[in-house]
Amino acid sequence: MNNLKQESKRSEIVTIWVKQFSDELFSWAFHKTSDRAAAEDLVQETFIASFQAFDNFLNKSSPKTWLLSILNNKINDFHRKRFRSTYKTESHLLKENDNNFYDYFFDDNYKWKDERKPGEWNNSDEILLDDTEFNAVLHNCIDKLPPNCFSIIQLKYINEQEGKDICKELGISQSNYWQILHRAKLQLRECLENNWFKK
Amino acid sequence: MKKLMNIFMLSCKKATELIEKELSIKLTKTEKFKLHFHVSMCNACRTYKKQSKIIDEALQYHFNEHHTHQSEYISEDFKNIIIKNLKK
Repeated sequence: MNNLKQESKRSEIVTIWVKQFSDELFSWAFHKTSDRAAAEDLVQETFIASFQAFDNFLNKSSPKTWLLSILNNKINDFHRKRFRSTYKTESHLLKENDNNFYDYFFDDNYKWKDERKPGEWNNSDEILLDDTEFNAVLHNCIDKLPPNCFSIIQLKYINEQEGKDICKELGISQSNYWQILHRAKLQLRECLENNWFKK
Repeated sequence: MKKLMNIFMLSCKKATELIEKELSIKLTKTEKFKLHFHVSMCNACRTYKKQSKIIDEALQYHFNEHHTHQSEYISEDFKNIIIKNLKK
């Protein structure tokens, strides 16, 4: 009887949380995955996990903080899985396109092509990190990255995790890791230059 | 002499790769020296290095602040589905 009572109390509280926090959790998950269906699933899984692990909660933190920490773990899992599945299928493609990719930026001696040289960003001292317009441009640039670059960037910056730990989790070598980061950065840099600093 | 220069001289591709490596993993002494040498002579890579740091800061901020993105909404129907599924 007591158990039943606890059970219904628990579901009452989590139901309130769903009503109160699901939009916010969804915004966060969508922001991190750019995938509406995946974000919905992640939010749903977060609430189910919170329901099952309710006893661990014990008002140690605010419910929102607790839910967000569960959600962030789920987002990490999502990117790890996605990295693994896209990396396998892309790794041979990656090798084939390797030269094509770098040829876009560099000449035969791997020097910058004139038209791809980083331009001066005159207003770079003025970028406000919390500028909504700048963040929207940055977001679009991140969205354009190939899936494995996208997921690795997410994993690096969500947790500010050490490079070697990310490599271990993903089962890739350190040199592969920063090569992917390098590719991502080259693309992001040019995208930001064209869409923000040149405007 | 020219040969000797080649040993020290990185390509821009390699230099920018080391710039990224430096941001996440430590460089060896030789790499550090080569990169320093290259960047001191190559304007484009110097600019890249500066911008790469700026992008790094922007990404760090972008991913960890909750107020930098638009609000999205979940449908009421979906909220009800979540609530229903809790009790399964």
